[in-house]
Amino acid sequence: MLGKSLKINKMIVNWSWREICFGQLWPVVVALTLIIASVVALSTLALRVEKVMTDHGRSLLAADLVFKSANPISTTLLEKTQQQGLIVSSQSQFQTMAFSEQKMQLVSVKSVESNYPLRGELNLTDQNQQLKHHVSPGELWLSARLFTLLDVEIGESIAIGDAQLNISGLIKDEPELIYNPFNSIPNLFIHHSDLDKTGAVQVGSRVNHRLFVNGSESALVMLQKETVLQAGESWVDQNKQGSTGGLIEKAKQYLSLTILMVILMAAVTLILTCLHYVRDRSETVSMLKSMGASRAWLRLWLSTQVFMMFVVAFVIGSFLGLILEFLLRLPLADILPEQLPSVGAQPFIFALVVALCIGLPALLIPLTRLLDAPAINVIQQQKINYTKKIWWLLLLPFSALLLFYGANKLVWMLLIGLLLLFVFLATLSYGLLKILAKLKWGPAFSLALSRINRSPRNSMMQLAALSGSLMLVALIWLIKSDLLGDWQQTIAPDVPNVFAVNISPEQRQGYLEQVDRLALPRSDAFAIIRGRITEVNEQSVSEHLGSKEELPHILQREINFTWAKELPVYNQLIEGQWTGEKTVSVEQKVAHDLDIKLGDSLTFEVNSQHFSATVNSLRSVQWQSMKPNFIFIFSEDVIIDLPATWMLSFRVEQAQGELVNQLARLYPTVSLLDFRSMGNKIQALLRQISWSLTGLASLGVVSGVLLIFTLLRLSLGERKREITLYRTLGASKKRINQTLWAEYGLLAISAGVVAAIAAEIILFSLMKWGFQLPTQLHPSMWLILPLLAVLIVLLSLSSVIKQLLKPLR
Amino acid sequence: MTKSVISNDSELSILKGISFTINAGESVAIMGTSGAGKSTLMGLLAGLDQPTSGSITLLNSTISEMDDEQRAKIRSESVGFVFQDFLLIPSLTALQNVTLPMLLRGNEDETSNNKKAKQLLQEVGLAGRETHLPTQLSGGEQQRVALARAFITQPKVLFADEPTGNLDQKTAAHIIELLFEMNKEQGTTLILVTHDANLAKRCQRTLIINDGQCQENPC
Repeated sequence: MLGKSLKINKMIVNWSWREICFGQLWPVVVALTLIIASVVALSTLALRVEKVMTDHGRSLLAADLVFKSANPISTTLLEKTQQQGLIVSSQSQFQTMAFSEQKMQLVSVKSVESNYPLRGELNLTDQNQQLKHHVSPGELWLSARLFTLLDVEIGESIAIGDAQLNISGLIKDEPELIYNPFNSIPNLFIHHSDLDKTGAVQVGSRVNHRLFVNGSESALVMLQKETVLQAGESWVDQNKQGSTGGLIEKAKQYLSLTILMVILMAAVTLILTCLHYVRDRSETVSMLKSMGASRAWLRLWLSTQVFMMFVVAFVIGSFLGLILEFLLRLPLADILPEQLPSVGAQPFIFALVVALCIGLPALLIPLTRLLDAPAINVIQQQKINYTKKIWWLLLLPFSALLLFYGANKLVWMLLIGLLLLFVFLATLSYGLLKILAKLKWGPAFSLALSRINRSPRNSMMQLAALSGSLMLVALIWLIKSDLLGDWQQTIAPDVPNVFAVNISPEQRQGYLEQVDRLALPRSDAFAIIRGRITEVNEQSVSEHLGSKEELPHILQREINFTWAKELPVYNQLIEGQWTGEKTVSVEQKVAHDLDIKLGDSLTFEVNSQHFSATVNSLRSVQWQSMKPNFIFIFSEDVIIDLPATWMLSFRVEQAQGELVNQLARLYPTVSLLDFRSMGNKIQALLRQISWSLTGLASLGVVSGVLLIFTLLRLSLGERKREITLYRTLGASKKRINQTLWAEYGLLAISAGVVAAIAAEIILFSLMKWGFQLPTQLHPSMWLILPLLAVLIVLLSLSSVIKQLLKPLR
Repeated sequence: MTKSVISNDSELSILKGISFTINAGESVAIMGTSGAGKSTLMGLLAGLDQPTSGSITLLNSTISEMDDEQRAKIRSESVGFVFQDFLLIPSLTALQNVTLPMLLRGNEDETSNNKKAKQLLQEVGLAGRETHLPTQLSGGEQQRVALARAFITQPKVLFADEPTGNLDQKTAAHIIELLFEMNKEQGTTLILVTHDANLAKRCQRTLIINDGQCQENPC
């Protein structure tokens, strides 16, 4: 029996092979191959880029994971890290006064162990310009500013608390990025073993303790799970690291979205090609049944075909995917490290799972319906009663989606949005075509419209597939552009990189004039008044927030207030107007966290003085723009009389370093915060991410366009019989040509318009609620999408037209 | 036996109480105007469809009481078909198309199947064309492959639905010659649906379907 079935299998295998190579199955295999190739290429690249981005993020963090605490690191935690085989390095950070022979200065001291940093680069240069990367016992390294502020040179000694230490050299680069111009006090490094000598750490003194941890992903997750956080303790990883962490998170979300959209496009093609195959094969199945084929035999026949299609698509798709990934990597060669992080079998497994989740329902549902084709249809067409049992297969892709993207708000927004939009837009475009058909047109257009309206289901399917793919292509490109546009503000060549703070009111005018004389592009000067928010509508903020478990961070510290006549041009007004007296404008995220609305009365405290202001507007602020930004901006009457210092930011080119020193000498009491090297680091990171995203988006667009091309060719293939019949009946080439152009041109233009509306709506939602970035209209897309659609139609039509115009033999 | 179908929510009687017997080895033509129910009758006789009432016995088995699978088994063992549209599988060669019914029957001997198929292709005048795909053959040649396919299982009953409907006169005549010749050789019962009175005359009996009734037209 076994031998018998094997023999039969061999025959069926041969047959299936011929169907795949020469029959109707090749478009299905092409679609399946495309899914696998795109998933392999995109996920391999995404994994690599993600690893590079994670490594970069971690090097800015100085470790894979950081434990922050207000108390010394507990021995329990240290034991746990030991048990998990993790590498650790401790750091204590505190502020104290440093004394040189002539001067004193408040400094931020970082006492680190010899293995610091665990990630990223610490560059220290000594007297002989020798580069060192770690701090050794007895050493003291100062940031460039401290040399001016304390008026010292390498080799001299300064006192830090009780300890007298010799200056070993200059800190050129350090890994930990702290971007806060207001709290940045110049820092220095000492070795952990010298910490006790300073006597600065006493019971009750304010010290921040950090434990840097490196190790495997699973061990890090385990460590975080097993540690119960006490008050004042927190974990920081590269995802939670302020502005750069946010950027990386957004880039990762974009990668997920792109992969999902490419898969969606391929799935549409797969379903359509498979439906096409089933329509074509129904008669064959009836014939086989009439000759006595049992259901079991037909099942074996179909499942062999499906199995073989998967094998062929997997082998070719994986290979193509790797080639694609290689090509995509070429322009990124400068950005990606020479030693590429290995990705293992993950992309292939992922591609197979995706292909199975989409392919099994897409293939098996229509193919199983083939089994219901009655034998009698071979001589007499009868209506087919399809069994519906097989629809459960649809659970596969949906469960997979839930599993993969369960918590990803963006993905669900996209999917639900897509569904709703399509129902709406399909109805709209169908109605539009119906109206068009009622108007008077030339013969070609009339024929085309009647053809579209004659088989509404088919036309709608085509329209949906075409506009869906076009919309996804537009989305992939525009989300990338919008994201990059937002980041561009950080990458732009004129972004400020030096902040001057602590300018006294008397110094203000002179300082501004000096900066202008040096021709440094600068921001306006802003008054800085430090204070707290205490009440909302005469109710303490905690009472106002009610049962919120954790109070927002902003309530736990003093923040900077300022006043202004006009709001900064780089802040976007979201709600309300910047008018009125005794008013305040609030940053929208803080307003949301503190449940503050327009018209609320807020009470603030500055130096034990209380005052109130009414909220007149909400603003969106881009903190990563490196421009002076504030949570609360008051109208000038509110706080103009309170004692304030002033601040501004300006741009200094790498070669203009001497100007910074010049300013520092002229105004020794003004603190200059030089973010040039940090700015460069952020810019490098952003450039890297931007390139990767552009590469991915291009791949997405190219595969989308290819899929649309395939769809159109399939659709034209289906029309072959009808067109050759017209031709046989004597229709001129010109007439057929015109009708085809009119039909597909109309389809392309309507699909382009539908896609543009849909893309604009989805993009708006994604930007506003998903990425939380400012939204904008994209007028150029309204033109480009229909044009792109017509162009693809032109290409696909001209590639098949000759074949279509041959008369029947 | 009767057969009616539901069309636009109303019942349409196609065959209204038909009763006849066809003996083994006989050749019978079924004639009638378009839409009279010829193809419906043939579908019922071959077990492709079920009657609304009454019973049909094929080769001593009451096929009207059998389910789909049982009827498929009888067809694979004892029934052959020739269709108006030939219905060859486009991706299979002429030889593979001919051996297909053996495959459906579960016949494992590939060598013997191929030998038999080659012999039949030779008989229908297609020696040397075994590896050709249907698209590389003319209509007449395709129908000859279909004839070879119908006879490879040495069926007890052969159903032919307008076998020459898509062919020119000369080719049609040749196909009919072949059909009757092979039928005679194998002693098969032949049931033929046709519009062609001359073709019907070559059969031993002619059944005429008219207004859902069946009349025997003695030759």
